[in-house]
Amino acid sequence: MTELEAGRAETLVPGRGVTTVWERYRDILIALIAFAVLASLPLFTGSKALLDFVIRCSAYGLFATSLNLLVGYTGLTSFGHGMFFGLGAYSFGLIMQRLGVPIPIAFVATLAITAVVAAVIGAICVRLKEIYFAFVTLAFQMLIHSTILSWASFTGGDQGLRGGIPRPVFLGVDLSNHIHLYVASCALLILGLLAMRQIAQSPFGYTLRMIRDNAARASFLGIDVWRAKLTIFVLAALFASMGGMVMALFVSGAYPEFAYWTISGEGIFINMLGGVSTFLGPMVGTVLLLLLNDTVTRFTEYHGIVLGIVILFFALGLRKGLLDFVAEWFAHRREAGEGR
Amino acid sequence: MDLDALAGCLSSSACLVTQTTSGLIIGMLLFLVAVGLTLIFGVLKVVNFSHGAFYMFGAYFAMTAYQLTGSFALAMLCGAAGTAILGLIFERVFMSRVYGADVLMQLLVCYAFVLIFDDVVRIIWGPEFRSMGMPAAFQVMPLFIAGGVVPPYYLLLIGVALAAAVVLGIGLSRSRIGKVIRAAAHNPGMVSALGINTGLIYGGVFALGGMLAGLAGALAAPVRSLTPGMGFSVLIESFIVTVIGGMGSILGALIGALLLGLIRSFGSLGFPLFTEGLMYLFMVIVLVSKPTGLFGKEAA
Amino acid sequence: MTRTRRPGISRRSTLALMGAGAMTVAAPWVARAQAKTIKIGMPTILSGRVAQLGTSSRNAVMLEVEKVNAAGGLAGRQIEMVIRDSKGQPQEAARVARELVNTDGCELLIDAEASSGAFAVHEVARDLGVFCIHTNSETSALTADPKQHIPNAFRTARQGVHDSIVGGSYAAAIAKAKGLKKWATCSPDYAYGRDTTAEFTLYLKRFAPDVEIISESWPKLFQPDYTEVVTKILQAKPQALYSCLWGGDLTSYIDQANIYAMFGQMEVFAVNMADYTALTVVKNLPKGIHSGNRYIKTFPGTPENAAWGDAYKAKYNEYPTNWSWENATAVMLMAEAAKKANSADGKKLAEALAGLTIKCPFGADGTVTMRAEDHTLVGYAIGWGTTIPQEPYVPEVKAGDWKTIFELEAEWKKSKGYT
Repeated sequence: MTELEAGRAETLVPGRGVTTVWERYRDILIALIAFAVLASLPLFTGSKALLDFVIRCSAYGLFATSLNLLVGYTGLTSFGHGMFFGLGAYSFGLIMQRLGVPIPIAFVATLAITAVVAAVIGAICVRLKEIYFAFVTLAFQMLIHSTILSWASFTGGDQGLRGGIPRPVFLGVDLSNHIHLYVASCALLILGLLAMRQIAQSPFGYTLRMIRDNAARASFLGIDVWRAKLTIFVLAALFASMGGMVMALFVSGAYPEFAYWTISGEGIFINMLGGVSTFLGPMVGTVLLLLLNDTVTRFTEYHGIVLGIVILFFALGLRKGLLDFVAEWFAHRREAGEGR
Repeated sequence: MDLDALAGCLSSSACLVTQTTSGLIIGMLLFLVAVGLTLIFGVLKVVNFSHGAFYMFGAYFAMTAYQLTGSFALAMLCGAAGTAILGLIFERVFMSRVYGADVLMQLLVCYAFVLIFDDVVRIIWGPEFRSMGMPAAFQVMPLFIAGGVVPPYYLLLIGVALAAAVVLGIGLSRSRIGKVIRAAAHNPGMVSALGINTGLIYGGVFALGGMLAGLAGALAAPVRSLTPGMGFSVLIESFIVTVIGGMGSILGALIGALLLGLIRSFGSLGFPLFTEGLMYLFMVIVLVSKPTGLFGKEAA
Repeated sequence: MTRTRRPGISRRSTLALMGAGAMTVAAPWVARAQAKTIKIGMPTILSGRVAQLGTSSRNAVMLEVEKVNAAGGLAGRQIEMVIRDSKGQPQEAARVARELVNTDGCELLIDAEASSGAFAVHEVARDLGVFCIHTNSETSALTADPKQHIPNAFRTARQGVHDSIVGGSYAAAIAKAKGLKKWATCSPDYAYGRDTTAEFTLYLKRFAPDVEIISESWPKLFQPDYTEVVTKILQAKPQALYSCLWGGDLTSYIDQANIYAMFGQMEVFAVNMADYTALTVVKNLPKGIHSGNRYIKTFPGTPENAAWGDAYKAKYNEYPTNWSWENATAVMLMAEAAKKANSADGKKLAEALAGLTIKCPFGADGTVTMRAEDHTLVGYAIGWGTTIPQEPYVPEVKAGDWKTIFELEAEWKKSKGYT
């Protein structure tokens, strides 16, 4: 419900074409500041663990935010988005291990591969609606996962890509250096978020919201719903794949777990935790989940119980993601203030 | 791939009988879990992601009862009754709060309980795997039917599952309660306007679904090892079954489970390394050609 | 014991701002290194289906660490173990391992991960240069493949190829004596299962050339139902069956094969049967299953080994597992290496450890050696025997011959292009 209200509120803003110019500059400005803050972090702290944390946030954040393009903006609940996370990690790792090309080329090639695979799978999936879309994406995910496991000669099977991913220096960037990897991950995260923000705020982004709220109406207005859905499916896959590449670089390998449904589940969970009706909700959710995971596993091996109770608190207590909750609370207060 | 082995089996009656019954055994146990899942979805419109946990609890309850009493019948009863009560509590206290909420919220609540239940089992029964052991009455030589081998215990298993299918099928279509349940699935507002307590129906259906999964777990306990998290792979497979058969359709669950059992038993001959992949492939094909599943209704 | 830091983040509410979290994470990094106690990090699996791997590894490590600490510690420094759950996910194993080193200030790692988790931790060891002993991964490639080799990583687990050589020659002798020509295999479909089975059949055929594999089954890891696999094997009518299923999968398989009366129809060789976890759990253990030793307190039949098994049982009220002795050996080796190097520094430990031979209850001749060339454990007790349903479970174990193992292993390495 909140999602719908938020969507409508945005569409009802008058003269949005004018405001987006300012908004766009504002977003870029925020992105630059965020990047400057993150990138200067190593100057203030020697904590490798903190840098590790931010790198993992980049990987999961890109993935979760891209999932929100589907779930929150288009109303496509994908249970199989993790396949593109895994695909990114594996394609990148395999290209680097087998071909030894410079990293940027492997990066672009991986995106290209992801785009092709996502276009094929998406063309089949986006025809289906609601829960059936969720099922079929899940089925594709499991199919890819079993293929990775079965095709051991190529993918390393359950042991994953072994022997490390080579990280040759390019343009003075050495990704085997922890600080370099950190800054590169931050850059990818910020660029990715910025690009996704542009997509969300573009006319195309508003088309997606219209499809989410009323696909039939969108169709009457002459929008090719299938094509729009497919486009966003492929775009979202690209950012998920970027997240997978960051993860592959971080662990210097790729494992079948990256393509397992649990990764998709975590993505959904992150979105629910942070909130789906604000752009940064998934990012907040990512930080929350990773903090939660890292702290709880430190102190108990019964983390299932702890995590379960926290989830229940969100699902039954707040009944929405954290950022949604905060945003609504503010809106509520403002309304109350105006009423007085 | 080993297509020769598959062809060889298809031309031998002994192999055909054994592999078909083996598919039937896998399928019928799967059906017991899947039918609960499909029932809960059909009436409550909830994808019960924690269904595997009920299967797990059924097995553990049965094992404990069997160790305490030594009675197989009592063990089965405890497995089924215990999970029925658990299902009722789970639905009334937790799930009933998220009806009408986003599907994802419901999934989240179920997911939370998957995590919690697994840890609860680990605390009560320990992290190591356990085994219930086969009751002496079933420790007998297998039967030979038309050259194929069939163990008596599996005959019992198939019998129980078939009985459940028949009772459910007839009960839902003929009995008064069945009619109320179907009506509640169709139009809960109308049913409650008629003075029927829908909360009771929902709780009852959830308990029934949980009971079926628990019974499956109890029946499986003598032949499968018990570990925390054991419900998981069963959940995935029964989930595939319900999607293939059509969410909400009991006949669909039966056919889906049997198809999956046969895919497994013959797939392991022809494609020993890609048996699991075959199941997902089949699921994709069904979903793409008929999204609501083989026996699902469009409006479901 | 001077503890330089206490668990920091726990007291924060889980909703702490990232900055606040950052500070608590950052602080201990500075305080590191001066500590008098030495922290050893141990990523392992403590939840989910194979939690027993983690708990029995942890038990064994703690048992040995207490002894080392009582005797003065690691080169005078008391050991403090920091043990964390990775949930069996490789990316979590990598994260936990990094965190143990970077945040908790662990100077050494005992990697008690299985399968792909061990490879993930191996990459962390490569990246950070931290001293690391793999204790549970039996995959031969982890140490045999020179691409994996790094100076700071070791393995105290069995190696798949060793087991296969001993198993192959043992099985071949029986095959010849009983005329078992038609064999079937049934192993879990993952790297360990595939590699171990391939190596076993290689050596079986080498020692008994007229053996023929007529049927292969590859159930998934943790598959609950083996019915189709059991019936497939029955159809093939082999004279003997080899399986490297383990743990709960093996007991499920036995229970399900039992009701098809499979064990009366063929000789069964299950390498992972003779481990107390499986032996004590199966209610109707068929007589006469051939198995490799995993951990059994009667083999080697020395007072030291029996005493160790009893001490473990007395402390934890359960028998040790195969994982237990592998982890205990890791601590024993570290303690000896620290004595030799007179330091607990990871680099010096690694130098001292390569090629080190120590007295050990699990040694075939009372000693085990950390082979210098590939950093893997050799000389441990290895043998095969047949099971009975009650103690001592495997009354007679035929010990494998390490000289033959070394010869064939060298040949195997060459054939794989590892040397």
